[in-house]
Amino acid sequence: MRRSTAAAVGTLTGAALIVGVRLSVQPPAAPAAAPPSTSLVDNPAPEATSKKPGGTAGGAGKKTTEPGKNKSGLKDGTFKGKGANNQYGTVQVTVKIEDGKITAVDATYPTLGNSATINPVAVPKLKQETLQSQSAKVAAVSGATYTSASYRESLQAALDSAKA
Amino acid sequence: MGTAVSIEVADDLPASVLGELIADVCRWLHEVDARFSTYKPESEVMRLRRGEITAADASEDLRHVLNACADLWRDTDGYFDAYAGGPLDPSGYVKGWSVEVASARLAAAGSTNHYINAGGDIRMRGHHPDGGPWRVGIRHPWEPDKLSWVLAVSDGAVATSGTYERGDHIINPRTGRPAQGLRSVTVVGPDLSLADAYATAALAMGEPGLSWLSKLATDGYDSAVVTDDGRAFSSANLPAAV
Repeated sequence: MRRSTAAAVGTLTGAALIVGVRLSVQPPAAPAAAPPSTSLVDNPAPEATSKKPGGTAGGAGKKTTEPGKNKSGLKDGTFKGKGANNQYGTVQVTVKIEDGKITAVDATYPTLGNSATINPVAVPKLKQETLQSQSAKVAAVSGATYTSASYRESLQAALDSAKA
Repeated sequence: MGTAVSIEVADDLPASVLGELIADVCRWLHEVDARFSTYKPESEVMRLRRGEITAADASEDLRHVLNACADLWRDTDGYFDAYAGGPLDPSGYVKGWSVEVASARLAAAGSTNHYINAGGDIRMRGHHPDGGPWRVGIRHPWEPDKLSWVLAVSDGAVATSGTYERGDHIINPRTGRPAQGLRSVTVVGPDLSLADAYATAALAMGEPGLSWLSKLATDGYDSAVVTDDGRAFSSANLPAAV
């Protein structure tokens, strides 16, 4: 789907003659076609509305306010296909049409927490905390390697001489 | 060169035995220095540099060190590099390894409660004279007389790499310039030679070292880090004293 859509973009933008292309916004043929398990935001009804963009959860899809029909037969707007599930997650295709031309195509593979096959195993990150400055009773001090000279001034030296 | 070494043996053994144990550690550390020092023209490392011996002819200890450095170069994505400064210099590995071996020799000779601190890298076993684990402070990266963390460790190693003592002595092998981003990296784990090399490598990486260090936790190596701009990070199971 993506490849053929890109080819269509090339043809449409370069050609003087615009043939009425029926744009079927379908997600790519997925290896394990299954009905989408997520309900997608704002499934396109490419109809004229004068709604302002925004107000849709999940970001990418916004309706433009300019619906009109164009010579190509394509209606302006941003259209999201139904999501299709494969083993990597839910695949969704978004197509943007301006002045009857396809100006943008995007296929997204949202990262899901349960897509363990291609997502790396979650590694707990180091946690940020407040840097302390304390004077506690310790048996030894670990620090960057000190020279013999700076050792003399160090906490470790104080500990060693206290024990001697 | 002159790394200061502090040793505390807490076993309930006669004074003469304790004295002999410590003397043996000192003999071992001098042997290491004679073999590996890059400040001694006749050390085995320097003879290897000059081609007077080959690696295949080298002593068992030198061959072990060369192999370990190769493994660490691979495991740290090239950030631990015995050739980072040009000619072979395995000192970054030798420091921790020599103390790791010294502690093993003490244990074999009957000391199960001791610590050895060589220039800030520490290997401890057993308990403190008071009976509890060894309490180790991590030197604050800006205030020399303060601690940033206090750890409690019975058997294990604590190694710290930092830019605040000897300045820009750790080079980022990718850029060829002094490492930037992290001011202090402490690694705590079972083997001091690895903890030391990991701390050095992470410091060389700069801020990306934070995520590299977090992956070591599954192998039993925890860490505590302070960035150049004063942020502190630690792994979930860092053995902090309560």
